[in-house]
Amino acid sequence: MKLVGIVGSNAEVSYNRLLMEFVAKHFGDLFELEVLEIKDVPLFNQSDDQTNSKEVQYLNKKIMDADGVIISTPEHNHTIPAGLKSVIEWLSFKIHPLDAKPVMVIGASYYDQGTSRAQLHLRQILDSPGVNAHVFPGNEFLLGKVKEAFDTDNNIKDQRTVDYLESCLRKFMRFVNVVGILDEPQPAKAPEPEDLYATGKIDTTIENVDMNADDWVEQAAEAVNAVEGKTYVKLDRGILTVDQLNYFLASMPMELTYADSNNQFLYYNQTAPAEEMLASRNPSQVGNPLAKCHPEKAYKNVGWVLQQLRSGATDAVRVHVPTHGPDKYVVHNYQAMHDENGNYAGVNEYILDFKPIIDWYLKQTGQELVGGTDGVSGASAKEDKAVDGVSGASEKETETVAVDSVSGASENA
Amino acid sequence: MKKFIGLVGTNSDQSTNRTLLEFMEKHFADKAQIELVEIKDIPLFNKPENKQVPKEVQIIADKIDAADGVVISTPEYDHSVPASLMNALAWLSYGIVPLLDKPVMITGASYGTLGSSRAQVHLRQILDAPELKARIMPSSEFLLGHSLQAFDEEGNLVDQEKLEKLEKLFEDFMIFVEITGQLKSAYQADKKEVENFSWENI
Repeated sequence: MKLVGIVGSNAEVSYNRLLMEFVAKHFGDLFELEVLEIKDVPLFNQSDDQTNSKEVQYLNKKIMDADGVIISTPEHNHTIPAGLKSVIEWLSFKIHPLDAKPVMVIGASYYDQGTSRAQLHLRQILDSPGVNAHVFPGNEFLLGKVKEAFDTDNNIKDQRTVDYLESCLRKFMRFVNVVGILDEPQPAKAPEPEDLYATGKIDTTIENVDMNADDWVEQAAEAVNAVEGKTYVKLDRGILTVDQLNYFLASMPMELTYADSNNQFLYYNQTAPAEEMLASRNPSQVGNPLAKCHPEKAYKNVGWVLQQLRSGATDAVRVHVPTHGPDKYVVHNYQAMHDENGNYAGVNEYILDFKPIIDWYLKQTGQELVGGTDGVSGASAKEDKAVDGVSGASEKETETVAVDSVSGASENA
Repeated sequence: MKKFIGLVGTNSDQSTNRTLLEFMEKHFADKAQIELVEIKDIPLFNKPENKQVPKEVQIIADKIDAADGVVISTPEYDHSVPASLMNALAWLSYGIVPLLDKPVMITGASYGTLGSSRAQVHLRQILDAPELKARIMPSSEFLLGHSLQAFDEEGNLVDQEKLEKLEKLFEDFMIFVEITGQLKSAYQADKKEVENFSWENI
């Protein structure tokens, strides 16, 4: 976890700086904390916009890049120092890096009060709509009588104080993770379940031909007078004969599969017999609804992948299938297709072995994978988790069969 | 005739809080003399070791010292007082005590509906801090919302109800100044305490 700590004082000597430096040093194994200074930031003036000054942009960038922010504030006149308020005003004027950022407030003072009033003001300020930070509730850390609080190595002397600080910081770390959920985009409504049996009809559905027929391609071609051979087809952008189109698709260094938005399997670039393919397809399967290409236990996961693509939640779902051994790095890519108006048009599943690409790249650039001689298969071990990610909250399916939206139970992987 | 300082609570070139104080200066000219004071040339407070306040601050401190009271008009930035006003008050309590026991009336204007309500609450708390210890007129609030539409071309308050409220509050403030003049018993002790204050002696 990456945090930044803002020293809320611009004074040369500040116990709040000591406190922040102590947090960074003492809790280095919990998180990474970079201490930020505000002393060079000019006084806010809305008539003299210095948002683009080096000092303001520096803080802006550091805060944007951080998972959370800790602010240590002194107390001046029962409130926070003008210098700190000025920084917050710059960061809520034209730019808003603290928006939805988890922020923890701490403070140190000479008196017993330990900045109690300043902390309350700071919480209210951070809560205002222009700043809109996620202020960490409760867990007040007030360090009073600071002149006696630190030892000569600038460590807090009292162990109970250190323990309490640690408990506050640990809770803040959990808070950082929890509030992240608040900002995740929410789907407008739960996605419709996918119709894997392709019972619907889209403009291009070829009617009155049995989807499950072994010779669906031949029957359907006849039904629509499909062109073939040397007949020209106009494409965007070019003209090819159907033969040329086939040569072209067959030469792609990957297995291509087309399923339309009605969840009907319409095409694959047939280049090898089913048993030699990375994910096997049989000529007789073409035309089938996706339900017929999968075992029933995989429906849930297939539906999930299709929902992601149809809803636009993502344009691509990738799954590494590690069952091909260390010589291959086979990835099933489910890429959403869209028509000229941006409407979902189906899924392009391309199955690609990345290993030759990586090997070629390493050879060309004279580089090696570090972290073991078997870098690629090492990475694949980790990727098992990603497969689980795709299968969602459901039971662990055998990954290849489960997530391959098109290939059938005959999958040999 | 009473002499008051009208402290413009922002360093911005455009401010309806300035417009409000200018209106008060003009409107109450037969009751009191209000001199507007700007805070925009005050440098950023940085707690200098030598406790020397800048020349700009000393000029303002002297004016406040000589006045019978202060009217502070504050905008609201991020639910609080603008940094520039906090900054001015930090200097005005750094080894000098111009606001100690000084009668203060708080007003505020904002573009939105609320009229700087949260900033005014903070300002009261700030002025109540031991280093400032001003005499803030209690139980009174002047919140001017939608301030961009509140004045006509001559800078006069348009809304008659608001104007009446301001007139009554100002009348009360004149009386409040008289009353607080009698609350002076602790003044010398407080003054000494603030002036002799040292972090090293805590």
